[in-house]
Amino acid sequence: MRSIYFVLVVVIVAAANLLAQDVYLKIPADPPTKNPLEGNADAITAGMGAYRVRCADCHGMDARGIRGPDISQVWVRGRTDAALFRTIRNGVPNTEMPAHPAPRTSDLDIWRILAYLKTISPTTAAAPGSGNATSGEHVFSSNCIGCHRIGDRGGNLGPDLSRIGAARARAAMARQIRGTMGSFRTGYEPVTLTTPNGQEIQGVKKNEDLFSVQVMDTRERIQGYLREDLRTVSDEKKSAMPVFGPDKLSDADLDDLLSYLESLQGITPAPSSAR
Amino acid sequence: MKGRTSVRIVVAIIAALACLATLAAQSAPPPQVTAQELLNGLPADGSRWLMFGGSYANQRHSPLTQITPENVNRLAPQWVFQTDTAGRFETTPLLRDNVLYVTGPLNVAWAVDARTGREIWRYKRELPPTGNLTACCGLVNRGFGVLGDRLFMTTLDAHLVALNMKTGGVVWDTALEDFSKGYASTIAPLVVKDKVIVGVAGGEYGIRGFIDAYDAKTGARAWRFYTIPGPGEPGNDTWAGDSWQRGGASVWVTGAYDPELNLLYYGIGNPGPDYHSESRKGDNLYSDSLVALDADTGKLRWHYQFTPHDLHDWDATEVPILADLTIAGQPRKVVMFANRNGFFYTLDRTTGKLIVGKPYVVTTWAKEIGADGRPVILAGYVPDEKGSLTCPDATGATNFWPGSYDPAQHLFFVNAREVCATFYAWKQEYVPGERYTGGAGQRATGPDNRAWGALRAIDPTTGERKWEFPYISPSTAGVLTTASGLAFSGDAEGNFLALDSRTGKLLWHFQMGSALHGTSPITYMLDGRQHVLVPAGTTLTAWALSDSPRVPATR
Repeated sequence: MRSIYFVLVVVIVAAANLLAQDVYLKIPADPPTKNPLEGNADAITAGMGAYRVRCADCHGMDARGIRGPDISQVWVRGRTDAALFRTIRNGVPNTEMPAHPAPRTSDLDIWRILAYLKTISPTTAAAPGSGNATSGEHVFSSNCIGCHRIGDRGGNLGPDLSRIGAARARAAMARQIRGTMGSFRTGYEPVTLTTPNGQEIQGVKKNEDLFSVQVMDTRERIQGYLREDLRTVSDEKKSAMPVFGPDKLSDADLDDLLSYLESLQGITPAPSSAR
Repeated sequence: MKGRTSVRIVVAIIAALACLATLAAQSAPPPQVTAQELLNGLPADGSRWLMFGGSYANQRHSPLTQITPENVNRLAPQWVFQTDTAGRFETTPLLRDNVLYVTGPLNVAWAVDARTGREIWRYKRELPPTGNLTACCGLVNRGFGVLGDRLFMTTLDAHLVALNMKTGGVVWDTALEDFSKGYASTIAPLVVKDKVIVGVAGGEYGIRGFIDAYDAKTGARAWRFYTIPGPGEPGNDTWAGDSWQRGGASVWVTGAYDPELNLLYYGIGNPGPDYHSESRKGDNLYSDSLVALDADTGKLRWHYQFTPHDLHDWDATEVPILADLTIAGQPRKVVMFANRNGFFYTLDRTTGKLIVGKPYVVTTWAKEIGADGRPVILAGYVPDEKGSLTCPDATGATNFWPGSYDPAQHLFFVNAREVCATFYAWKQEYVPGERYTGGAGQRATGPDNRAWGALRAIDPTTGERKWEFPYISPSTAGVLTTASGLAFSGDAEGNFLALDSRTGKLLWHFQMGSALHGTSPITYMLDGRQHVLVPAGTTLTAWALSDSPRVPATR
């Protein structure tokens, strides 16, 4: 059954690629299947600089993932040079991974980055996490689902986690849950608005400018407010997400939860139903 | 019978005369843009805006006073024009005889009825596949130049084209350089006497930059000034080995012109490779400099280098503004320059000597500008493989978005950025047509490195700040000021703003849906009403006071 889905996904992706090529006539010819700069010392040095400047913020200096996924495992998991090239060039739709179009990013720029990435990638796959995903789903349902959504169930105050397993490294998720990560994701910065009569509205900031702020409050109401109608708009230092220390969540439960989260790879489009 | 015939003859004659008169009125040639009009800059009647900075002094300061600090809150939109193209405006529109002439992204350009926003003609250049173009930072254009009945526009494939103002048809088309070698052109041409002055972009692609003058009639090149001296020329020895051949020093922001001195003033781009400088030891003239050129011959009269041997991509591609000031009791002809490197400069524009050099943002790499005019550089700000934190960042304290100068208040207005960055450098081989930067800068983040910006009013006689209006993030908008005491600009979140230019107090704002990225509003009179035209994103929006009476013009 699983393999049928896999084939289906491959077919859909291939069809989407074909379609994309029809729509965007200026997509250049497919790049070479193998990185022409692999092992080239100058390219690796240049690629290191480029990687640190353009990739490390999300994927980490060691490529093990911070906000973005662990990309040190891409080759051992079977991705090809050509596929990685296309991912960097075209980005990943509906994620924070941007496209890197020419002329700002040349083909050589991308090959240099991949040449460097290869030098810091292991040649054998990392051992899978030891947790139990089924138990992890129960942990999720009793602790996380109020704010986080997976597919059609869950809350909206925190980020949607439907494909978090593809987007974040296991270690990064652990840090986030244990509360040792200081930064907020754009669109989820905690904010407190105070109305002229002293009422407080707590929520997360979706957008702002000099004159207004757009928030989702803790009751999930999305609403824009004019600053002139508010007494104060305070950015909070602490994330809206509670810290789950070992007292609240044992190491074993965390392990299970992480395994469940790792299994979340996004929603597979359903085929159209026959009439 | 006889009477009726004569009546008929009289009627026929009258009809014929009337017809002739109509024909005469219709065929009266439209007035041509003259060199004198260009010299006159922005007229008191508000009937024209004929060049990038409004006048040769680049002050972007209008004499118009119908819109004031008291009534600006009654501005109402008159119309919106949509480009229907990909990409956004970075242009300054021109106005002549109630028609706007506007360049957009991808070298599309329009003549637009200023009364209604309706398109009169559209020009679209056939460009090579965009993947082959090398404009590093957007497929944009910064505006037309104009003379006679012709408009002049530079192109992304490094040409200069002359268009017929009435139709948008091409009159001539001249290649500046081979675009496949990394050249592109986005600059708004400056027309001086009978010549069209342009420059080339490509500082990230190992080009050798230049400023060119072309005959407005024929498109033939009149002179070229290489911004990097060749072998045997003074300054060539400021580049190690053959690095001068691909040292960059591009020219992509319109300069100023002083008719009395007959001098052009242009800011020159960064040396290449931007960050890894081992291969280009020396000062790297005339990168990051202001050059003063004889407008007839292109010969260098003087230069002032803001950032000798630049390591941080601090192009001097900001807009130079000319003014006559009194400093220490002496009348001085000056050129003012808010530089990407963090310093504000006032130079004597006859000699190029430094009068004022003072930071206008947090600046960590240099202690001050010394008496010899060179920055006193501090240790520890050299980019390397590990990265070095420096303020300002590579985009700089300001950049190509134009500032403004109010001669009555003696104030210089600029959108300044407070952003620091970690600069990396690595060795890179030159490949023709490839990006050639030898490193990169990454914006510093975190609570200690908050990126923000402000509209700042600077006294050019001292470099002191008179006021600032802070933004929540750095703005990339230009500035327009008016004699009534208004400053128009915008923030990065898409707000079009009107401030009191004397105090910095915010008076009025409107959310445009896109920032005024690199654009500044222009203003003019139309049917007795002062208009403010705002290019933002893919739109032009014309504003006027909701209650100002319409007075159709007679000619």
